[in-house]
Amino acid sequence: MPVWIKQSLRLFRHELKRGELTIICFAIILAVASVFSLSGFSAQIKSALINESSSFIASDRVLQSSRPVDTEFLNKAVQLQLDNAQVMLFSSMVFAGDEMQLASVKAISNGYPLRGELLINDRNSSAINAMHAPPVGSAWVHSSLLDKLAIKLGDSIELGATTFTVAGTINKEPDASFSVFTQGPRVFINLNDVEKTQIVQPGSRLTYRYLFAGSEQAIDEYEQWVKPQVNETQRWYDIKSQQTPLANALNRAEKYLSLASMLGIILAAVAVSVASRRYGQRHQPMVAVFKAMGANKSHIRKLYMLHWSSLSVFSIVIGLFLGFVLQSIGLMMMAGYLPQTSSASSLYPMLVAVSTGVICAFAFAIAPMKSLIATPVLTVIHGFSKLDSKKGIIANIPPFIAVFALLLIFSRDWMLSLALMAGGGVIIGILLLFGHLLVNAGRSAGSQAGQGFHLAMANLKRRGKQNNVQLVSFTIAIMLLLLMLVVRNDLIDEWQSQLPDNTPNQFLVNVNKSQVTEVEQFLSINQMQASDLYPIVRGRLTAINDEKLAKKASKEETDNSDQGRESIGRELNMTWHSELPKGNVVVSGHWFGAEDGLAQVSIESQIAERLNVKVGDELSFQIGSELIQLPVTSIREVDWQSMQPNFYMIFSDNVLADFPATYITSIHVPMDKKRAIQQFLAQYPTISVIDVEAMISQLRSVIGQVSLAIEFILVLVVIAGSLVLVAQVQASMEERERELAILRTLGASGRLLKSATVLEFVILGAIAGFLASVAMEIAVYVLQSKVFEMTPSLHLNYWLLGVVLGGAFVGGVGLLACWRLLNLSSLTLIRRTL
Amino acid sequence: MNTKPDLKAKNEPETILECRNVTKSVNTASNKTDEKSLTILKAIDMQVKSGESIAIIGASGSGKTTLLSLLAGLDLPSSGEIYLKGLALHQFDEEQRSKVRADHVGFIFQSFLLINSLTALENVMLPAELANDDNAKLKAMTMLEKVGLSDRVEHYPSQLSGGEQQRVAIARAFISNPDILFADEPTGNLDSKTGETITELLFQLNQQQGTTLVLVTHDTKLAVRCQKQLTMDAGEFIQPSGAALEQLTINSVKAG
Repeated sequence: MPVWIKQSLRLFRHELKRGELTIICFAIILAVASVFSLSGFSAQIKSALINESSSFIASDRVLQSSRPVDTEFLNKAVQLQLDNAQVMLFSSMVFAGDEMQLASVKAISNGYPLRGELLINDRNSSAINAMHAPPVGSAWVHSSLLDKLAIKLGDSIELGATTFTVAGTINKEPDASFSVFTQGPRVFINLNDVEKTQIVQPGSRLTYRYLFAGSEQAIDEYEQWVKPQVNETQRWYDIKSQQTPLANALNRAEKYLSLASMLGIILAAVAVSVASRRYGQRHQPMVAVFKAMGANKSHIRKLYMLHWSSLSVFSIVIGLFLGFVLQSIGLMMMAGYLPQTSSASSLYPMLVAVSTGVICAFAFAIAPMKSLIATPVLTVIHGFSKLDSKKGIIANIPPFIAVFALLLIFSRDWMLSLALMAGGGVIIGILLLFGHLLVNAGRSAGSQAGQGFHLAMANLKRRGKQNNVQLVSFTIAIMLLLLMLVVRNDLIDEWQSQLPDNTPNQFLVNVNKSQVTEVEQFLSINQMQASDLYPIVRGRLTAINDEKLAKKASKEETDNSDQGRESIGRELNMTWHSELPKGNVVVSGHWFGAEDGLAQVSIESQIAERLNVKVGDELSFQIGSELIQLPVTSIREVDWQSMQPNFYMIFSDNVLADFPATYITSIHVPMDKKRAIQQFLAQYPTISVIDVEAMISQLRSVIGQVSLAIEFILVLVVIAGSLVLVAQVQASMEERERELAILRTLGASGRLLKSATVLEFVILGAIAGFLASVAMEIAVYVLQSKVFEMTPSLHLNYWLLGVVLGGAFVGGVGLLACWRLLNLSSLTLIRRTL
Repeated sequence: MNTKPDLKAKNEPETILECRNVTKSVNTASNKTDEKSLTILKAIDMQVKSGESIAIIGASGSGKTTLLSLLAGLDLPSSGEIYLKGLALHQFDEEQRSKVRADHVGFIFQSFLLINSLTALENVMLPAELANDDNAKLKAMTMLEKVGLSDRVEHYPSQLSGGEQQRVAIARAFISNPDILFADEPTGNLDSKTGETITELLFQLNQQQGTTLVLVTHDTKLAVRCQKQLTMDAGEFIQPSGAALEQLTINSVKAG
């Protein structure tokens, strides 16, 4: 075995045993463990949440089309071993004797739903999980249809040219529509029965849904294949691309989890960079002695490469193990809350963790290692100095590239990685400047204070450069912790405010004008919270500024030869209202003034953008047989996630008043009032009730799980961050060790040294806490406005937390480290530092 | 290392180390454009014969340690020539000088400079290993026995006293049987009694192995044990070599 290998391994073995590598190993272990557990855990949570919430679309992915798709789509899915099911949706009248009702029919194939449960109450009225489509010739219906058609289970209904036996009522439909404007109660039939009904005719309004589910890899592969082929009459979507509160919550949670892992990487990088600098310094004397003994550069280079590699591999392996344990603990704790969590752990997080370890270990080691190998042999005569940091900028290039590469590998998002890096760079620059100024300012203030304080300030000033580096790393650690805390609190607050306790859980639709007063009275007597009652008039947008819109009577007739502006393609539910509805914000123009009796319309911002409509444009609508034209005076942003009736078009009062309208409202019905409202509505059989209670509680439970997951991730980040801080204090403590030894020998009292050291750390921590708060505020602003699409807010109360916690934590750990040192005898202390 | 029979034959002492007109100056200017230089060594000439022992003495700051580092090839002179075993050190780069050190030179330092994370045995083995000596361990054991530390081989430097550490350093210096040994204040960090023991050991081993010894010291007791003493002041030798010879004779008598 070559000598360098022998010597390197021998050094490694001894140093490890003697605890001389503890801090550097600790840093790498920490890096790997935190990245592994964070990314592993968040990947697990993500997939569990998505699995769970995928039941909202009854599958992993859906291909929706207005026409049957090519069989090739299905063949490919089968080839990739994906489960698939088909659904066909249409509206049709359902007859039973003399009664009839418009129903929304869902014809399903066997296998539906691929995710979630379809619960059916049969004759025995127990809810069973339907594993198949209804038998041929049978239908499952929403219970309201039984009332409306005055039938019971076992009776027959007619749908088109066929008769179906009602075999059950629908208890829970996984992918029930969030829309309150669905047409009529749901009827499930077998897909094989559709043809017999003879309902499907050319021009019928049909929606075909092809559901797919399977392993993530297969789904991804399929998605790669499908996406380029999806045309404009088709839509390919997953749970997250839905415009629902749930999708939104999931998207944000996913971003939070990714962010947490990315910040974990940065924390890890900071830890490794601090530790590798120290490693370089500690080994300087050894290199000088080796050189004096005649070892050449290549010998030393090989020896240290192997030494550093052994150390990295050793730490990475332990880090993986620790990360695995942490992740398993996390998953175990979440097991009760997260359904379908698979056990730890997939390969990807391990890969990310190992590459974090390897990249950090090598990128951060390059500069200290180069200086170390270049240690002048003359230092055996003249003594050792700290590694110079003259090559500051150049030495920092590999670490910066490394961190960027890691962020990129992890996020696969150039913009986010660049933004984080650029932001980080700017923040570090500002930090260095501020830190310098603050420490300087503190010194002149300190000259009047007590001895300990004076010594502390003098030390801070003297170690300006090293302290600045420490300050940056303390600040980054504290900032990341504050950041995670603040974003988590804001996210959870917003979710909770989105679905408060009195979230409307029922919609009343089809209320006649003559019933409005009675409904209002009933609601006010029973003190039920309700939105305003909105009249609904159905109509079609036909022209914008005299430019006729493309004739798209229905989606089926989409024809690329249409040259006109894109239309909405369907009838709109339009309303009039004098006040701006809750949750709406005018983003352009003005809301109708009470005084101007002008006929005008307010349009929702997304549709305005799609149709390229600006304030001042004239819109033409066809309502019944009449054509009206009126100007757009405002564009509104609408919170589609609120459980309120929302509208694309709101007219001023005087325009639609003469058209026949039905009214809609959303109400919150507490449990104890359910009976009352049922009895009240029994008098008005034309009013339909849409109950969204089940949907809301399902939403709440998913959001509850997401919140919990985020909570746990926060705890992980806090642990990782605290460990980084401890490692840093420990590292900087060792820089002070020799000095403490000398001062101690010169007769400085333990109390003075302790108070000076602790004060130094408290001041450093507090400054770092303050700077971290400022940096956090900037980062949160960017994150909220750009990444989470939330309304940015100030968090001044966290500033105090930053300063106090920063000072207390860094000071506390400093005190502990100092205590240990000062309890050693002067002689031991001096020997240790030689 | 084992093939140097001619050197050990003392009947015909050859010049092992030679200095011709060696100077050393350093730039003391705070910025690089200034040209303020401080001359540490002024035109040093000296010759060391194989097997000789020489003490360089002088006040602090007289330039003796700087001279030692030039002679040992740790640093390069500003001008002049240095030949060690006929090799032109002043023309060699760092790597070539490493090779010279590995092949011919041993060191003893004032602050011992043992590697803290290696045991006494492993510290001693180091130079032999660097010279690819397969018997490094055995030789190290023998050396440690010679310096009286056979019961401390597995101890780390921090577990040894100063004197013991310096004994380990001496064992390390002699293990590769160097042609020339440089010692920088070998007793400087030790009390006088321990210093004497170390001095004794150093000369004993030197004699046994026939090594050439160049040492820098303040310690007159150590200096007089050398065959030749050179006194430095302000970067030059201040005694003519004839007087030095005379002094040497007196000291030898005293020491004897």
